[in-house]
Amino acid sequence: MSLNTDFMVKVAQTAIQGVPVTLQIVLVALVISFPIGILFALIRIYRVKVLQRVVQFYVSLVRGTPIIAQILIVYSALPSLLNMIIGRAAFAINPIYYAYIVFTLNAIATLTEVFRSALQTVDKGQMEAGLMVGMQPRQTFWRIILPQALISALPNIANTTLYLIKNSSLAFIMSVKDITAIAKTEAAFNYNFLEAYLVVWVYYLIICYAAEVVFYLLERYFSKYRRPIKKTSGFNWLPFRIKQPKLERKQS
Amino acid sequence: MLTIEGLKKSYAGNDILKGISIDVNKGDVISIIGPSGSGKTTLLRTMTTLEEADGGHITFSGIDKDFEKLTGKEVNTIRRNVGFVFQNYNLFNNKTALQNITEGLIVARKVKKSEAEKIALKALERVGLTDRKNHYPSQLSGGQQQRVGIARAIALNPEVIFFDEPTSALDPELVGEVLKVMQDLASSGTTMVVVTHQMSFARDVSNRVIFMADGHIVEQGAPKAIFEKPSEQRTKKFLTDILANV
Repeated sequence: MSLNTDFMVKVAQTAIQGVPVTLQIVLVALVISFPIGILFALIRIYRVKVLQRVVQFYVSLVRGTPIIAQILIVYSALPSLLNMIIGRAAFAINPIYYAYIVFTLNAIATLTEVFRSALQTVDKGQMEAGLMVGMQPRQTFWRIILPQALISALPNIANTTLYLIKNSSLAFIMSVKDITAIAKTEAAFNYNFLEAYLVVWVYYLIICYAAEVVFYLLERYFSKYRRPIKKTSGFNWLPFRIKQPKLERKQS
Repeated sequence: MLTIEGLKKSYAGNDILKGISIDVNKGDVISIIGPSGSGKTTLLRTMTTLEEADGGHITFSGIDKDFEKLTGKEVNTIRRNVGFVFQNYNLFNNKTALQNITEGLIVARKVKKSEAEKIALKALERVGLTDRKNHYPSQLSGGQQQRVGIARAIALNPEVIFFDEPTSALDPELVGEVLKVMQDLASSGTTMVVVTHQMSFARDVSNRVIFMADGHIVEQGAPKAIFEKPSEQRTKKFLTDILANV
């Protein structure tokens, strides 16, 4: 068995057009689900009467079904539904919108739980201290509680993002032309499946690695207030480095 | 200046406060002592509206009302005119020492940032922490954190400052620095209500000691009277128990 490297280069060149599509799906899903996730988390924490139940039901519904089933349902139900409302134009809609919907709905469910646990890690004394210096609960929430919660949520947000990047590869089912879809098409034309899939593999690896670096930098920047010591841990810049990053203990 | 009458509070059917009345005058330094579970902390928290009271009356900064009938606006007025120092400091973790103090001034009092910083620096100077102004709470020792907590309270220039066991969470060697700051405050005429287990503070610094047990005020008076000639059996027992451990 030998790899057709010329073909791999060719697939890499075509599949790169799918990178922006993949990133778009991830970014749209994240940006929309972020504030909604916070809102849903608050609804659950403060046990807002009926809404609490709705959110809880929604979260278990999304988390309790495979994403592929959600994709299939949205992709078969929505176009026909829209067809009844706006007629044939429904079939001209770019399928990426369906991908936005599925992955946003998914990210909302995950982030709701991420924010709920993060908000609960903030000591209630922080709110009390805010009230006792005369701030309103709302002001204390925005200025004191939420910033702390977001920072402790960062590792889990990173997790969600990585899953989102990888799950977005399922969008090919809805004929969205992302990295996976392009590579699959190329592979099918030339019967060079392994080569095409290896390219896909590398692309996702690069994107995920970049996301990890971004989140590492964010965490390092924002958690400066949590560091008694100058630098406690570093980032594994090489993804497969066996040696653990050194712990530097410098008392300031 | 601050009068509380018949303050009641219960949790899940347990009466924690069974009708407490307290009178705080300007310049008073009142120590509240008593066994754990006697309701000292709850008293402080209900007086300052951190907890809702089940009954009782408050007269304070223009308000003369039953606790249950306080409007949101009046609750704000009360909160704005008291300072509170917490047992576990409760500094804003995501703010530096200086920002901890300016936060309330800027956000709640609408003081200009430059002005707020001036006030905050003065407050930090009073607790001897000017050089730590840019440190985050996690970078400060417990004693330093509590002193920032005190600075945060005095910067708002409240009518009365409540201290909820301010030294209980501290390592023994750090208690002194906090007590010293409190002593300075007391001698500069700050009105203070202090829940404490530091009998030396109650005896030497305060001008009135309140002994609480089981949600009641058992006895109150000048520290000399309470410590040397307590008239109630419970006070006597508490003092012998606690002084035996010193």
